[in-house]
Amino acid sequence: MSAVSGFGKALVIITGASKGFGRALALSIAPRLAAGSALILAARSDDRLQELRADLSRGESGLTVRCVAADLGCQAGVDRVIDEIRDIHPDIHHLLLFNNAASLGDVSRYCHDFTDVDEVNSYLSLNVSSALCLTAGVLRALPQRTGLTRVIVNVSSLCALQPFPSWVLYCSGKAARDMMFRVLAEEEPDLRVLNYAPGPLDTDMQLQARSSSADDALRNSFSDMHAQGQLLTCEQSINKLIKVLLEDKYTSGAHLDFYDL
Amino acid sequence: MEDEISPESRDLGRALCIITGASKGFGRTLAFQLSCLLKPRSVLMLVARTTEQLNQVKEDIITLYGGQNQLEVRCVQADLEKKDGVEKMVQAAKETSVSDMDHLLLINNAASLGDVSRFALTFTDPAEVNRYLSLNVSGALSLTAGVLQAFPRRLGLRRSVVNISSLCALKPFPSWVLYCTGKAARDMMFRVLAAEEPDVRVLSYAPGPLDTDMQLQARRSSGDLQLRRSFCSMFSEGQLISCEESGAKLIKLLLDDDFLSGAHLDFYEL
Repeated sequence: MSAVSGFGKALVIITGASKGFGRALALSIAPRLAAGSALILAARSDDRLQELRADLSRGESGLTVRCVAADLGCQAGVDRVIDEIRDIHPDIHHLLLFNNAASLGDVSRYCHDFTDVDEVNSYLSLNVSSALCLTAGVLRALPQRTGLTRVIVNVSSLCALQPFPSWVLYCSGKAARDMMFRVLAEEEPDLRVLNYAPGPLDTDMQLQARSSSADDALRNSFSDMHAQGQLLTCEQSINKLIKVLLEDKYTSGAHLDFYDL
Repeated sequence: MEDEISPESRDLGRALCIITGASKGFGRTLAFQLSCLLKPRSVLMLVARTTEQLNQVKEDIITLYGGQNQLEVRCVQADLEKKDGVEKMVQAAKETSVSDMDHLLLINNAASLGDVSRFALTFTDPAEVNRYLSLNVSGALSLTAGVLQAFPRRLGLRRSVVNISSLCALKPFPSWVLYCTGKAARDMMFRVLAAEEPDVRVLSYAPGPLDTDMQLQARRSSGDLQLRRSFCSMFSEGQLISCEESGAKLIKLLLDDDFLSGAHLDFYEL
């Protein structure tokens, strides 16, 4: 495995790994990991994680795959991922944490409908807090040392930069995350931090967007994208992401969009 | 011609004006400044956690302006980090009636710095981060939603929502992960509101480095040495901005009322 086409001996952690972008990421990245690497897949659905593990095992040997079925919106869930790291005790040159787990929130409603603070808190807990706490926990479990490159990827969105009607939770969460990871990049110059906006992907989340968005114009534009075959496959987007990561020339903390690359 | 003679003849209408975090600092100053700009029989609702300080602000305002202006000042003690605090505040707003009300003005000012002595890697406890976001993000969204629902769109009613923002909404600062994250979330939240409700005048106002308790906390506690030093020199070189000076700029924006809804405007740009 040449250094150019692969990540060498790595520990890769992917949240929201059971479907969509996270799942595709696991399948795309596994072949680029050298023997002795480990892949930790976190999601809520244990069944789907096991299916993914089965699919992965058809490919690479020498790759340890661990599944963590957990709710990352709470401490116990985050701790389970950290426990897995300590259990594997990997001897690696490369750490890659993909903060991918996310939810759209209820896009059928507008700002003035979010009168229940518990609902907003629950959303932010999964989409903002858990990403910070998991990242902090992982970095503490695998501290800086010579010969170890640590990469933190935030799966971001155009919504981190631009407001969309009926998408207040998602936009606010993505804006929060981008800033969070920018602060992390400022504080820890040895880290490689990337906010990657993958483009409009053909996933369940996109389906939810085009069936449920309250804003008519937005819903129609999603439907059009779908009907006109303008949605991206996860693989298309992941290929660009992997290329950026392997080239390793991005400014830490930058927001890069699929369409910029 | 009247405007040239006495520019202060402009006012903010017969209003329900709600200010959160009104017991001290910028919120308190805004309470004073806005009092003189509300038409008679307006209601000024001051929200904060501490009853004593709130009541003091109310007393001081009434002493200065209350009598002449027939201004009703209502104090609402509420902890906006908690669900029942938000609900209590929204309920108080719902129960307030202003006859011939032509302006609803909500100033989302209540905020906390978070623990700025620590770096992002130390935030391993979701409960701590959640609590922070509950006050600084969720609370602001839910109370704004509740207030807008209590005073829905109608002809003759101007509705303005101000988000007290910060440079931190746009730029990351080491050891300030919670504050920067919260401010970035709020700015976006209010941009979405502006996109959804063209009739609501939404403004994210970054007041500049104010001489308040929050600033004191910043210069004493910031974990990043360089940042702490720069706050200290701002203080010792007299570069901090008084709440009055910054408040005056915000008020001019509200009086002129020609800002782009959803915009982020900074004290230093005005």
